[in-house]
Amino acid sequence: MARQSGNQEDFVRPIRRLAVGCLVLVLIAIFILWRIDSPRAERLRAQLVDRVVPSMDWAMVPVTETVNLLRGFQSYAALQRQNRELRDELQRMKAWKEAALQLGQENAKLLDLNNVRLDPALTVVTGQVLADSGSPFRQSVLLNVGGARDGIKDGWAVTDGLGLVGRISGVGKRSSRVLMLTDSASRVPVTIQPSGQRAVLSGDNSALPILEFIEAPEEVRPGDRVVSSGDGGVFPAGLLVGGVVLARDGRLRLRLAADYERLEFLRVLRSPPAESINAPAGLIGPVQPVPVETAEEATDG
Amino acid sequence: MADRTSHIWSYRATFVFLVAVVVFVQLLPLRPGPRGIPGPDVIILIAFSWIVMRPDFVPVALLAGVFLLADLLLMRPPGLWTALVVLGGEFLRSRQAQMRAASFVVEWAIVGLLICAVTVAYALILMVFGVPQPSLGLTILRLLFTILCYPLVVILAGRAFGLRKVRAGDQDGFGQRS
Repeated sequence: MARQSGNQEDFVRPIRRLAVGCLVLVLIAIFILWRIDSPRAERLRAQLVDRVVPSMDWAMVPVTETVNLLRGFQSYAALQRQNRELRDELQRMKAWKEAALQLGQENAKLLDLNNVRLDPALTVVTGQVLADSGSPFRQSVLLNVGGARDGIKDGWAVTDGLGLVGRISGVGKRSSRVLMLTDSASRVPVTIQPSGQRAVLSGDNSALPILEFIEAPEEVRPGDRVVSSGDGGVFPAGLLVGGVVLARDGRLRLRLAADYERLEFLRVLRSPPAESINAPAGLIGPVQPVPVETAEEATDG
Repeated sequence: MADRTSHIWSYRATFVFLVAVVVFVQLLPLRPGPRGIPGPDVIILIAFSWIVMRPDFVPVALLAGVFLLADLLLMRPPGLWTALVVLGGEFLRSRQAQMRAASFVVEWAIVGLLICAVTVAYALILMVFGVPQPSLGLTILRLLFTILCYPLVVILAGRAFGLRKVRAGDQDGFGQRS
């Protein structure tokens, strides 16, 4: 029997080797195509994910909920202590709430006096987190709101109500992918308040993304608030992103305001397309009368 | 004979199912956001351990298909990782006789080195093509975890699916002594 199969293998082996070689070449060709035309390949990927992941929802939701429930039981012991701390905090918060209410009323009055209209274009779509990126090196989540039904577009900002989480990167029919600020591909222009320094927030796969390209780092202190600056026209300006911290490696990093531990429902901000200025500035001077004759000649000819 | 082919196909289906379960678990939105320690790459472990034990249960086309799908779902650059894993699988297949004779520690070492080689080749090719990559420390940590988890995957395959290496004395080729 060993002999027989040996004879057979003499035929099969070269053909098999050729087939495997072709297979590997095809796979590498797919990789090179992806590298050359990344947007199209990523669109194909988004379509595939869109087809596969939402249909696994029926299985994912119960499993996720069960694990979260078990995790909840685990933390039962810590509840007592947490409860006491929360009570203390509530006491302190009551004072703040009073102040906030007064400020809110004052603000409403002032806005009314000024006749200011707040931007009505900035509405939100809330989506539920469907799936993780599945890889420890990619920081993204999949939302259950997509392009066809909810009109989600690439580049829109995503918050969790507390702070900026990331932006939409890849839209399918029923789902869309949120690239989080901690992903190593994420770059977001921000403003550090109160000094007004501009910086770029770049993710590096750690919980604290780096603040890069700060013009005068000596004016930035740990604890400063960081908001999105709206430079580049992709993000709406003024969204809270987090606070500056000085990391152990001596770099200025950002503690995110969004609660990355509990990303369950996310808000996608429908930002209007940024206005672009196409025409050069016209000459400023007295208004010239329109030369009527030449216009008529032009139509005649 | 018919029984034997259906047996092989049921194991192939089990392989696909197992990988699907791993991808499913990885996609669960349990704790999105950055984690300190990246877990092991279980899919490559399952593939290589199954190829060592029973190469006929993991044909090349199936391996390539499963990994390409995983590439697409897990946001990896599509194709490259699959191609390298297919090449690694072919290496193991061509050393089938030696792997069968080798003790478990030697097998572990060979598979570990192979996973190292695949990871290094992957990182180098990504570097040549200028694709942004995760940091070196994380990659090495993940690699170590992956290699350390190899015995677990092998034990699980033996316990749960009755899979073990074909020895010289086996007649029916199913890993069961008849």
